[in-house]
Amino acid sequence: MPANAWAIPIAVGERVHPGATSQRVGRGSRNQDPITRGCMTAQERRIDDTMLIREAQRGDRAAFEELVRHYDQAVLRLALHLTGSEHDAQDVYQDAFLKAYKNIGSFRFECSFYTWIYRIVTNLCLDHLRKKQVRKEDAPVAKDASGGEYDLLEQVPDGRAGASPERDLMRRELGKRIHGALEKLTPRERMVFELKHYHGLKLRTVGEILHTTEETAKNTLFRATQKLRGALADVR
Amino acid sequence: MNCEWVRENIVLQVYNELEDDARHELEQHVARCADCAAELKSAKEFHAALSQAPMSEPSPNLLAASRLRFQEALETAEQGGLWRRLAFDPSIWLRQVKFSPALASAILMLGFVGGVGTAYRVLARPTPGPTASPAQPPAEASITGIRSITQEPGSNQINIKYDTVATEETHGSLNDQRIQQLLLFAARNNYNSGVRMDSVELLTQKPSDPQIREELIYALQNDSNPGVRLKSLDALGKFVKDDVKVRDAMLEALVNDSNPGVRTEALRMLEPVKADGSVRGVLMTLAAKDQNQYIRSQARTQLAQLPEID
Repeated sequence: MPANAWAIPIAVGERVHPGATSQRVGRGSRNQDPITRGCMTAQERRIDDTMLIREAQRGDRAAFEELVRHYDQAVLRLALHLTGSEHDAQDVYQDAFLKAYKNIGSFRFECSFYTWIYRIVTNLCLDHLRKKQVRKEDAPVAKDASGGEYDLLEQVPDGRAGASPERDLMRRELGKRIHGALEKLTPRERMVFELKHYHGLKLRTVGEILHTTEETAKNTLFRATQKLRGALADVR
Repeated sequence: MNCEWVRENIVLQVYNELEDDARHELEQHVARCADCAAELKSAKEFHAALSQAPMSEPSPNLLAASRLRFQEALETAEQGGLWRRLAFDPSIWLRQVKFSPALASAILMLGFVGGVGTAYRVLARPTPGPTASPAQPPAEASITGIRSITQEPGSNQINIKYDTVATEETHGSLNDQRIQQLLLFAARNNYNSGVRMDSVELLTQKPSDPQIREELIYALQNDSNPGVRLKSLDALGKFVKDDVKVRDAMLEALVNDSNPGVRTEALRMLEPVKADGSVRGVLMTLAAKDQNQYIRSQARTQLAQLPEID
């Protein structure tokens, strides 16, 4: 969950009727306080999402857009890291949420919306990685406003205290090497590693997202880590 | 417990994914085995080194551009199963009518033509009037309202009087698909809360049917009459342990329902699953800041009965 996701405060003792849907959305969502959602318990967030999903299933586009804002930063982050290209990340973002919008009617609350949307995103990213493996593309690049290409890894800012130009340079070099090692993993190994290491998901959730068991996710993580340690043996 | 097992599980230890027992055993082994201790140290160092190059966040510009592009695409996108949604949710028709004068006119004309056609058929029929037990189930779209629901004493036969163009009546058992269809329609759409109450009461006899349970959850969440919500709540009570959707609906009622009686009943119904993490979280919120003193004290009492977790 992105730390600055938006929120609808749930007023205790206040009842929300479906007839008052637009009223609720109008009252709550336009004045969202990002901190409020951060303060909500997981259960409250789940109820909050459940209401938005129901409204979206009834055709309320504003409710769906609000739901998107709860998850889109995390989705874009995953897509950006996996594709290594802002353009491709935007495509994955767009395709994933459009697919979710078209199929929201068939969402049956059998898993969390988080798992569902991540399932869509990871499938799109896996397709992208498989195509990329065939194409054997070069370093991650993006195009700037003038059409020139630049290396995405060069753009990662170092906002930490004590950052120095030398340390920044070393960190970028390290980032490039890690990226190169990640590119050598199979798409599935890379996906499990990304979801675990960079997104901090539990392996049980990773298994659910990738339609596999927790045990398989564990084995895949083990293989991925072994390969990375082999490729980055001198990195300590 | 051997070195091979430990080597395979060190990565899980680093990512805090080992069960308590396995973690304990691994720590015990590492304390005795120098090779495995070195391997664990090396894995931790590698993990720390990878964390030196954290994941880059998408720039605010990229996020804003993606949102804008998506909103534009959404303008032209359509949700799947539109006809199905239109058929099942009359409020969508009303919304469409509200915003589309052309569609409203078309529906009016259709209604006029349909009315004229029906009048011809009625005039041509020798014995007009209320019909009993039509062979085909009534089309939901043709039902304008349910007038009454009665159960014959000592039997499972149910009489339902409903309006189409003219008032009609049908009867059958609770297992009859026509009767179930009308009960589900009445529970969701009728303006008379007494009729909604009757239909929900009959539906509570078959809560294990998934469609009926879904309808009871809908009534609990959306019915404007607290009596109907209470009846649905009581019928759903026995599924609170096994059905997450029921549990969520009850938590929603507990947090949001305007009626203190419904909230109190929801709190009582959730007692068997109060140890569940989600229920515990809601109880803690209620115990800390609910406006209703009784709910606050009951939530505290239930929390006090729970064992402490570390």
